[in-house]
Amino acid sequence: MSATILTAYVLIWPVLVAGVLVAIVRGFAKDVKEARKEGRPLI
Amino acid sequence: MGTPGVLALLLLFYGGTMWMSVAISKRKESADGYMTAGNRIGFGISAASMTATWIWASSMYASATAGYTYGVAGPIHYGLWGALMILFIYPFGKRIRAVAPKAHTLAEVMYARHGRSSQLMLAGSNVLGSVISLTSNFIAGGAIIAMLSPLSFGAGIAIVAGGVLLYTLWSGFRASVLTDFVQVVAMLGAAAIVIPVIFFAAGGSEMFEAGRAMGNVTPQQESFFSSDAFMNQGAPYIAAVLAYAIGNQTIAQRLFAVREDLIKPTFVTATVGYGATVIGAGMVGVMALYLGVQPLDGDVNNLLPQMAAEYLPLLLLGLAFLMIIGSLSSTADSDLAALSSIVMADVYGQSVGREKANPRTMLLIGRATMVVATGVALYFATARFNILDLLVFVGALWGCLVFPVIASFYWKKVTNLAFTVSVLAALAMFLPVRFEFIALTGVWAVLVEALAIVGVGVVLGIMAFGFFGRKAAVWVGVVATVATLPFGFDFLRDYAVLSGSLVAYAVSFLVCWALSVRSKADFDFETIKRVTGDFDDGGLDPRTQANENTDEPAPTTTKNEGN
Repeated sequence: MSATILTAYVLIWPVLVAGVLVAIVRGFAKDVKEARKEGRPLI
Repeated sequence: MGTPGVLALLLLFYGGTMWMSVAISKRKESADGYMTAGNRIGFGISAASMTATWIWASSMYASATAGYTYGVAGPIHYGLWGALMILFIYPFGKRIRAVAPKAHTLAEVMYARHGRSSQLMLAGSNVLGSVISLTSNFIAGGAIIAMLSPLSFGAGIAIVAGGVLLYTLWSGFRASVLTDFVQVVAMLGAAAIVIPVIFFAAGGSEMFEAGRAMGNVTPQQESFFSSDAFMNQGAPYIAAVLAYAIGNQTIAQRLFAVREDLIKPTFVTATVGYGATVIGAGMVGVMALYLGVQPLDGDVNNLLPQMAAEYLPLLLLGLAFLMIIGSLSSTADSDLAALSSIVMADVYGQSVGREKANPRTMLLIGRATMVVATGVALYFATARFNILDLLVFVGALWGCLVFPVIASFYWKKVTNLAFTVSVLAALAMFLPVRFEFIALTGVWAVLVEALAIVGVGVVLGIMAFGFFGRKAAVWVGVVATVATLPFGFDFLRDYAVLSGSLVAYAVSFLVCWALSVRSKADFDFETIKRVTGDFDDGGLDPRTQANENTDEPAPTTTKNEGN
């Protein structure tokens, strides 16, 4: 197996992790905004 | 890092989570809020909480170990199946939430569906699993603190147990899910940075050529289709995919807490988040394999901190330390919240009746449970049991419950007798196979293999049922069983752990089906809504009451609902 494929295989996971992190942080920001708008506690 | 550095990071972590917990605390905490946070958590918090809860320290260590032992396929056969545990439960989760929108635990729903014996079976297995998980996380915390500082293992577990208990005790599940957000940001952020930094610090792409030239890897370890990795790592996990999801109260609790329309995006996001993080941690093990690293003291669990200490600068080593502390703390606080909910709702709430349960007493019981559970887990942690072996055992044990629990949500004919007898029969067959009380030879081996082959069909059939309905499930189950027939005999007997799990699925399915198919039971699923529900309003659920006082029709059945 080529070193290029192995490199891509190792590095793809942190990229996916970063993508999920962005989605979760954006979701959290939306939760905070909605809670403030409705005047209720976040949790 | 030294004692001051480790203590400063621990103070930062537990001080920060404690501050968050205090910020959301209420003078008069509600029992329902303490268990499920009012059943309307948004996407961001719930996805963060599901991800943080499912990633625990052992999953990172085990994935790195799988990468080191089985090579490139190892982390996939650990992390992918663990991720699918979350994905495959969400279609069932939607159904469970539809029939019990305001429940707190799965066992509570089983009480409403069948009665006390079914409830206690599920609750008992949930308690066992959570205590073992809690213990495992304390051990992981003590071990990492002892490795990176002069502090002892005992001091490490005491710090972790005290830190987690302090911030979870007052607000329960609400504190658990909110702190999960910060913990997941720390964990995922660290994983996204630490893995590539170790890769480039260790030599980048060149490490693969060098490792191959030095003979550090075998052809099996270089193959994505390694049969070693599949049979020893992947296959037992596939069998456990549904069992862990059904048996683990931490998942059920989040299922009941998230806003109903957000179940799917929450579970899908957590699936990808868990898979990428844990498989990513496994890449550190793959790198260690190519580099020819020898684990410290011969213990493969040391690989992850060892690689971090070798290749990361001090600042990033601190970040990696927080990643591991975050992973174990988020799971430990979820276990505490799960245990308290089970005792509050199943042991106290439903035994005195929802209308008679006192929410203040419930809260007191919930907090006392957390203290006792922490003490018990500390005791087990100092006794140094082989926790991972215990967890694998409990996971397989949960396999006995999967079919009866899922069938109970869809099939009106399943009775308490069918549920109880099928679980006990499956357990009676599982134990001698799993622990090889009887040698797997001769007629016994053939019987076990025949059941395990049926078990393959049951596992895949249930998975298909969640997404595609009954007809597809039957086809998948039959095709999978027939396809396994040619090579299952004289083969599965060599894999006792896998066969034990498959036998548990097969026996519980066969007995539950046989006892239910001719049953005249015609359960009304609306009953579950009336029995489960809020405790704080004196057991009065306005939605249920509205339905009872009007001629409003019962909700329509889903495509999967049997009759």
